[in-house]
Amino acid sequence: MVETAPPILIENLAVTYGDHRVLDGLSLSAPEGSVTALLGGNGAGKSTTLSTLLGFVKAHAGAVSVCGVDPGVAPDAARRQIAYLPENVALYEHLTAVENAQYLLALSGGKQDRAAIVEAFAAAGLQERAWGQRLGAFSKGMRQKVAIAVALLREVPVLLLDEPTSGLDPRATADFNALVLSVRERGTAVLMVTHDLLSAADIADRICFLESGRIVEDVVAHGPDRFDVRALHARFAVATQRLAA
Amino acid sequence: MTLWRHEARLLLRQRLAMIALALLAVLTVAALGAGMAEVSRQHAAIAAIPAAQAEDIGAIAAWVDREKDAGSAAYYSFHPTWNAPSPLAFAALGMRDVSPYILRVRALGLEAQIYDGDTFNPELALPGRFDFAFVLVFLAPLFVIALCHDLVSGEREAGRWRTLAALPYGGAALWRRRSLLRLGLLSAAIGLPFALAAAMSGVSPGAILIVLLLVLAYLLFWVGLCALVGRLRWSSVANAATLAGLWLVLVLVLPTLGHVAINRAIPVNQGAEIALAQREAVNRAWDIPRAETMRRFYAGHPQWADSPPLETAFHYKWYFAFHQVGDESVAKQVRAYRHGLETRDEAARTLGWVLPSVGVQALLTRMARTDLTAQLAYRDAIRHFHRRLREFYYGYLFRDRPFGKADFERAPRFDAAP
Repeated sequence: MVETAPPILIENLAVTYGDHRVLDGLSLSAPEGSVTALLGGNGAGKSTTLSTLLGFVKAHAGAVSVCGVDPGVAPDAARRQIAYLPENVALYEHLTAVENAQYLLALSGGKQDRAAIVEAFAAAGLQERAWGQRLGAFSKGMRQKVAIAVALLREVPVLLLDEPTSGLDPRATADFNALVLSVRERGTAVLMVTHDLLSAADIADRICFLESGRIVEDVVAHGPDRFDVRALHARFAVATQRLAA
Repeated sequence: MTLWRHEARLLLRQRLAMIALALLAVLTVAALGAGMAEVSRQHAAIAAIPAAQAEDIGAIAAWVDREKDAGSAAYYSFHPTWNAPSPLAFAALGMRDVSPYILRVRALGLEAQIYDGDTFNPELALPGRFDFAFVLVFLAPLFVIALCHDLVSGEREAGRWRTLAALPYGGAALWRRRSLLRLGLLSAAIGLPFALAAAMSGVSPGAILIVLLLVLAYLLFWVGLCALVGRLRWSSVANAATLAGLWLVLVLVLPTLGHVAINRAIPVNQGAEIALAQREAVNRAWDIPRAETMRRFYAGHPQWADSPPLETAFHYKWYFAFHQVGDESVAKQVRAYRHGLETRDEAARTLGWVLPSVGVQALLTRMARTDLTAQLAYRDAIRHFHRRLREFYYGYLFRDRPFGKADFERAPRFDAAP
């Protein structure tokens, strides 16, 4: 039986910026149809992990693969497998939501069928009256819906989310979490880096605490309550205090 | 929809980009219009020559016919020469605004006539006319900078860079596509009005194509410079300031310094100094024995040496002889002046290989035949014509043949063939 590579596989990854080692022996694997949350304080190496998966940053040591492709060697091939939502989804304000989606899909090499786009907008919860509007007046939540609709249309096996719920109000956060779960149901491996422990506990199948460039605790959801949020919160508080110190 | 069409939509929805492209097109059209109007004015002036000449000669001929004096005919009659603009002259007026394109000459000493108007007006010469070459060389780079300085930095500052870079077709190819699109639109804003104006002016398709390629190459240089500065990952404001500084240095400062250096390294006297020297030589002839002047003249022109000897009364052949001797006395300075100009021109062309702004201007004026080479060629044509004019009148003067009204018809005419 042929064993296929998991959508996300990181083994003993080390990344250094000058003399500073940002990631130091990070190992992580995300299977299909899963949501993995990477938690950690500022400077723990969360965004660098995403940058390495996207091929923006080269690994100093260790191995990284996206669906079997090393993004350090073949970044474009790796990016074909990835949809990425940055912390602040900034799109073109002088284009409409549909035009933005068409443009991003074109840059992804995907089809730009309007009917499919508005269907994805509907699935992402973007109100119909906003479809033809320019993005100048869109809230962060609405922009995220546009971006996630594009991610849905791309049907890629990997979705990377960088602080997706920061700045969202509780309702928008709930909407977004529901969207992420729907993406997971399609078999997508979702990796989100976040400070938002509650959101992570809500939707993640697994929560990894990152500290000084390595995973120091790896908690997998189980049972009807999934996670002991109180214990996670205590763990997170300790980690962030240590980083701040 | 292709990526190119997406990029075009993205660009054309930006009001500032549209305004910049429209402004460049308007400036190009205005410059072409100004150039065509100037060329048309010069054509009209040249076209008016035959009628004015006929009127002029008619008045002199009526009077000369009474005396039959060849000397008076030669002294009082002016003969026009002209340097007709080439079809492409409207695009690069070059030296046509500082050097004469019509010169009426007499059979008298030529050097004073040629260099009499050879004064230098720095106000006209420095910035040049507002023509197509000016828009291309001086203004177009500013529009390239306006459209290309923030290609990457603008996306970074807007927070879109990571989103774009994370897409399979959002890497280097995206920036190349955007740069090429801007290059194409800027080239079109300049090239299309030019091609239309050139076709209307009868410029050959080959020449139009070469100019369009030149436009493309020059704009490509500036787009490349924007891309290079963009790689430094500075802010858009820093990029714009750096590129504006480079524009100042490459388009204004270095060419000016280059010309100053060339002028210092290759000293050339003003043409007016030759005119003055020739006049002094001519005036000196009044103070020396006429026989000495005639001896010097016949030594150089033995074909007229069998002319009857001078009597005590005034004779125009002596007058014309000392004018020619005056010309010949400054021949060395004339050769040095021309050599100096050619050497300077050669040095400026060499500078053009290093400075694209100088190179483009030099190439455009060369193609438009409005450069120094064309100006010197016009002077050569004048000299050739003047030689024929002298030979014609000397045939009457030195043989004491009467000169009647009909003889004006036999006078040589300037051949304006390029």
